[in-house]
Amino acid sequence: MIGRNIVLAALGAVGLMLPAVARAADKPVVIASVGDVSSLDPHLLDSNHPTGSVIWSLFDSLVRRGPDGADLPRLATSWEQVDANTWRFHLRHDVKFQDGTPFTAADVKFSFERMATAPFDAVQQLVEQTTLKETRIDDDYTVDLVTEKPCTTMLYWLEEAFVAPKAYYSSHDAAFLNSNPMGSGPYRFVEWVPGDHVTLTANPTYFGGAPAIKDVIFQVVPELSSRVNGLATGDIDMAMALSPDSIDQANTGKSRGVHLLGLRKQHFGISQNSSVKALRDPRVRQALNYAIDVPTMIKTIMRNSTSPLASVVNPPNADPALTPYGYRPDLAKQLLAEAGYANGFDLTIDFSPMWGQDKEISETVAAYLNAVGIRAKVHANEWNDFREKLSNASFDGIFYAGWAALINPAVELVIFTCKQEDNASGYCDDKYDGLVDRAKYDPDPKSRAVALGQAQDIAWHDAFWMFLWRDPIFIGLSNRLVYQPRPDDYVEIYLAKLKN
Amino acid sequence: MVLLGTSFFTFIVGHMTGDPVQLIARENATHAQKEALRHDLGLDRPVLEQYVLYVGHALEGDFGTSYRQRVSVGRLIVLRLPNTLELAGISFALAMLLSFPLGTLAALRRNGPIDIIVTGISMIGQVVPGFWLGLVLVILFAVKWQLLPVSGSGTLAHLILPAVTLTLPTFGRMTRLVRTGMIEVLGADYIRTARAKGLHERTVLGIHAVRNALIPLITQAGLELGDMVGGAFIIETVFAWPGLGRMAITAVEQRDFLVVQACVLVTATGFVLINLIVDMLYAWIDPRVRHG
Repeated sequence: MIGRNIVLAALGAVGLMLPAVARAADKPVVIASVGDVSSLDPHLLDSNHPTGSVIWSLFDSLVRRGPDGADLPRLATSWEQVDANTWRFHLRHDVKFQDGTPFTAADVKFSFERMATAPFDAVQQLVEQTTLKETRIDDDYTVDLVTEKPCTTMLYWLEEAFVAPKAYYSSHDAAFLNSNPMGSGPYRFVEWVPGDHVTLTANPTYFGGAPAIKDVIFQVVPELSSRVNGLATGDIDMAMALSPDSIDQANTGKSRGVHLLGLRKQHFGISQNSSVKALRDPRVRQALNYAIDVPTMIKTIMRNSTSPLASVVNPPNADPALTPYGYRPDLAKQLLAEAGYANGFDLTIDFSPMWGQDKEISETVAAYLNAVGIRAKVHANEWNDFREKLSNASFDGIFYAGWAALINPAVELVIFTCKQEDNASGYCDDKYDGLVDRAKYDPDPKSRAVALGQAQDIAWHDAFWMFLWRDPIFIGLSNRLVYQPRPDDYVEIYLAKLKN
Repeated sequence: MVLLGTSFFTFIVGHMTGDPVQLIARENATHAQKEALRHDLGLDRPVLEQYVLYVGHALEGDFGTSYRQRVSVGRLIVLRLPNTLELAGISFALAMLLSFPLGTLAALRRNGPIDIIVTGISMIGQVVPGFWLGLVLVILFAVKWQLLPVSGSGTLAHLILPAVTLTLPTFGRMTRLVRTGMIEVLGADYIRTARAKGLHERTVLGIHAVRNALIPLITQAGLELGDMVGGAFIIETVFAWPGLGRMAITAVEQRDFLVVQACVLVTATGFVLINLIVDMLYAWIDPRVRHG
């Protein structure tokens, strides 16, 4: 009897809870990500999503990066280069932080100087990459950025440098600021339950107008299948990091799966610190590239969601003269024979479950290499071990990796410069380094473009990678959401709308 | 003593598995930036020094700050522990409340239809892996019939699927044990004597049979409670349940040592407490333990 009452009570309680689960028109938009934000301090921004997506919603930068890499106004209305080492920015007059204090040049100076101090300097790149040495206030709405070297990538790095209100950020301690952000952005902070979710609500007084969607929740959903299932039930409006295998399951009555070309370049790095001497011969490295059928792998493993790489640099900066290697196993065998390896050699292929389909891709490549006589075997790594091998350039053969999800040739090319952290192929050549340096700092755009083209050509023909494809991004979107995902993984939810 | 040993072991082994800075640093971080980060997090000191500092602070109730999220570890535990206790507690209670009556019933009606059904269900509970069961339940109840949410927490409805998933294996093992134990006890001489005295069947079962069958069951129940916390680690990930287990797994993946350390300490404390309670229950149920 008692037992029956308990069961009935339990059922009743469930019944009462169900309306809370039911959908409502003003239900918050839920963005499901694999992991949690690492910090809500704008100057500890360390990854594009979800941390970057949340920071972009709460704060403003001087310049906004468009999805195609274009430099667009945000807190700055316009800018000019006064001389080779000075950039001048004109700021908006109508911006208020969310506590009502007006935004001025003093906040910019405060933020950029804060970024140069510990612990922020260990994460931020503005100062390091631009050689910024002084942020000078000309008047309340004009600020000059003075660099040590001529800087051509200033706008790019400013797009990830967010302005925090000086008054608020200088009157609270680091631990408090880490979880209580306050900026001028399109959304206000509501709550952060670490490991579970971040909730934001629209800022009605945003200078660009209040965003269309009122409440947004960045939810942590580590399981791929749970993210897909949540789309089907309508609990999730945007499911990040789906896979080629699961993208079809995201097409439900309530949602659709979309894929777009990402910016990260997938490749097999070819280690120069290897015990396999053959890998130091450029003919062998080219042979490795000719031996694999990239278009077929794209068709089968990647479900036609991407296209072969034709440079180490992303468009629009890629040298148009370069074309993919193509599948030419006979040429591969011929090159191997010319280099004195007609009978092949032993080769280890390292991979780690990081970029998706890592095992399938590595095993397929092993099969292609075996077909031209190279005795390849795959070796699985735990991510932390793999990460250390990347950092120490200590792989013994080739390794599957992705690099540089951005449009910034100066950064994309550094992967092959001497002593560069994560230059795991271990390539080192003074001529190449000189070209990259020119591509980065040469104030003359023409000479810069020439250096950029030459550096790409060297990287391509010296073949320190086996070039695969641009990493595709798979996202599930609910049908009520109107949003165009970005190739760099940032989610600008303030640009999204709901269908009526 | 157990706790100190556990913490030392976790600390040293944790630090042997790799460098958290490699995982925390952003993609194009320079060597200098990684060094700065290492210094900032105190990871550039010798491991033993780090451990001594850690224990010193821990004794004052400060369990440090997460490397990854820069949030106080104490606060993370306070946020997460109640969720795990809620899930494991309810699942445990459910398993016990179901397995004792059903196991006894199956023992009394040995080889009858009830026995076959109960034994069948408990068998399934024992052999089916938890994460698989969880996914199947999600597909049926959340996706197909849309009765319950897929994952997350907050309402009672969110609790049902993970709790059922976590309950079933324990229910399976306990029911079979109760059944076997009861069958054994019911065949014993003193039960026959009790029945022969003309005692009511309820008294025979309640006083004589259950009490004698209880000792091995309590040992098992203690173990099951421990298992439940372990099982919750996986189930929490499947259902995105914001508990201690999921936090521990994420922390291990990210080499967020201080968080791992705190999770291990809390779990170890839990085990010590469970053992203590089990021992006390022995004494309460079996007079021989008390007087011995």
